[in-house]
Amino acid sequence: MYGRLAILAAAGFVQGTLIAHAQDTIKIGVALELSGRFVSFGSYCKDGVEFASELYGNTTVAGKRVEFIYRDLQSDAQTTVTAFTELLSTQGINYVIGPTASPIAAAAIGPWRQTKPIWLVPGASTTTMETEVGAEPTFFHTYPYAYHYHETLSAALRHYLGEGKRVAVVYVDDAYGRTHLPLVKEYFTKAGFEIVAEEVMRANSPDLNPVLSKIRSARPDILIGLVQSTDAVTLAKQVHTRNMKIPYLVGAASTQHREWQDAVGEAQEGWIGLGTYLPHLVNWPANPEYPKIFMSTSEWERLFEARFKREPNYDDIMCYTNAGQLLIALEKAGGDNKDKVAEELAKLDTMSPFGPTKFTKTRGGTRNQAFSSMLVFQRHQNKNILLYPLSVAKDATLYQAPR
Amino acid sequence: MSFLPQAIVDALLLGGIYTLMVIGLSVSLGITRVINFVHGEAIMLGAYAAYWGLTLLKIDPLLALPIVALLGAVIGFLVFKGLIAPVLDAPQENQILLTFGLGLVLQNIALILWTGNERSSNPPYAFSSFDFDTVSIPGGRLIAVCAAIIMVVALFIWLKYGEWGRASRALAENRDAAILMGINVPFLYAFTFGLASALAAATGVICSFIFAITPFMGFDMLVKGFAIIILGGLGSIVGSVAGAFLLAFAETTVAYYVPSGNGWAEAVAFVVMFITLIIRPRGIVGQVTGQ
Repeated sequence: MYGRLAILAAAGFVQGTLIAHAQDTIKIGVALELSGRFVSFGSYCKDGVEFASELYGNTTVAGKRVEFIYRDLQSDAQTTVTAFTELLSTQGINYVIGPTASPIAAAAIGPWRQTKPIWLVPGASTTTMETEVGAEPTFFHTYPYAYHYHETLSAALRHYLGEGKRVAVVYVDDAYGRTHLPLVKEYFTKAGFEIVAEEVMRANSPDLNPVLSKIRSARPDILIGLVQSTDAVTLAKQVHTRNMKIPYLVGAASTQHREWQDAVGEAQEGWIGLGTYLPHLVNWPANPEYPKIFMSTSEWERLFEARFKREPNYDDIMCYTNAGQLLIALEKAGGDNKDKVAEELAKLDTMSPFGPTKFTKTRGGTRNQAFSSMLVFQRHQNKNILLYPLSVAKDATLYQAPR
Repeated sequence: MSFLPQAIVDALLLGGIYTLMVIGLSVSLGITRVINFVHGEAIMLGAYAAYWGLTLLKIDPLLALPIVALLGAVIGFLVFKGLIAPVLDAPQENQILLTFGLGLVLQNIALILWTGNERSSNPPYAFSSFDFDTVSIPGGRLIAVCAAIIMVVALFIWLKYGEWGRASRALAENRDAAILMGINVPFLYAFTFGLASALAAATGVICSFIFAITPFMGFDMLVKGFAIIILGGLGSIVGSVAGAFLLAFAETTVAYYVPSGNGWAEAVAFVVMFITLIIRPRGIVGQVTGQ
């Protein structure tokens, strides 16, 4: 009998400890693509969040310990649903960062709706997010939407090439490609370009030669690839091999990634890309109110490179900033009160290494949108040449692709 | 503009790549009767070996190919001896689960070691092409076709004239008779599996400069490979080669001549597989005889 009492007491003690631990802890879910097709986005984002956690120091907010709980979504929609359900419905988490890829973020919408936690999405250009959840007060989108891409890109190319050029589009048959395609057509047509071909490709297709043959027959001046990850590598290599003789090549998603550049080698020459951040290009000043976490861009880059022994990319700095924003909002809200934190996050208007953090409303209806400005650049002799906006692109030249 | 000449070239080149993908699978299934779900990962590891050989040691992939193939053979031999041989007489589900699990382990080891970042070998010939008016022949894929031809011819010569090749054919036809004839069956099984692994590793080397390399590349190839060997006939090398080219032509035709065809081309493999299973379950050439 005493043995049973002892066991009961021990169980009660353990449960009490766990409850106390839960009450003393603010959990932040970090749901990212840490394997699978989009691992190059998700793994960098994880580095950014971890870096923010380290620099914030002990990660304690309003007297409570902050715990980041990481989940690997495996770049898979079904796994995303399971992971989000576990984080939100089972663990009762009120704050989530991620995912980054459009189809994966779209898959998370359903489970997110069950509890509607604060959701920072440092990616997902698909306007599906805007349509489905953009108006929600706890949804915070911190990456440009597809229309931001093509509005900027068409303006940049029009500046350098004028009107009347012929545009061909290759797009992958998923949420990313199908979202971007109509927007390419809309904005480029508006800018005076002629869409002469559009060809679909299935993700991980081993042979793009039929697509490229059809594209070539349309004799475009510009080829826009709405592809990501391994498809972007296959496209660039096969375009280069086929001597397509298309003067201007645009990779909407991958051109900025060091992995893509290394994977395609000489085939990267001349590719035009877009991004929200290029390392060592823009230096935002330090934030005097939050110097520990929001230092100047150059200082952040120095610390990051010392820590991770590599150059940062946009996923790193964007997710770092998102984590910092959330931690600051938690501090201002005085603790784990979702509605108050959402309020503080929405009105947070401060400087970060990634730029001004202000959330505003988009024309498409997203209530809380930040970091929608884009840079247009070109790969030339293994360097990024900034092309647009003109205020930061000084006397830039747009080169033609060599083959 | 007529796409026909280019479509024929593309189909032949794709057929060569598909042949590379299935030839090892066909050898292991035809002789050892093991449905080898680790075949895709052997291709993946061969690709990484070629990539790191070029990146770290500046060894051209084609020069590294014999070494990588030999390594693949040794590892395949040891894997069979250590892991697969004990379940050879177990229900086939056990073999499937074992090789599938092994494939997942290898995939995740690769992911931990090298991350999921996409990579590719870029020797000079990877970007070469031969252009004739309206037809372009990519050099890298032409190399793949030549490699496929060499491997298939070498395999046939070995099977027909080599001592162990003839023994393998005997083993495939009747295992009990092979034992009675004094053939060292356990050794030959392991040897054949090693050979299949060597072919897979060599395929990976070729693929390293054609496709993007990731830890996940093997699975897609494995699935396509099974569709091809079902089409061609389980365990038949001739059938596998025929199936590879038939599928390549079907996919290329759809990609060229069906609107948005490239989006549908991958589904062709499975439609063809379903039709084959319904109309001619033993495949084009026929199924290997049961024990």
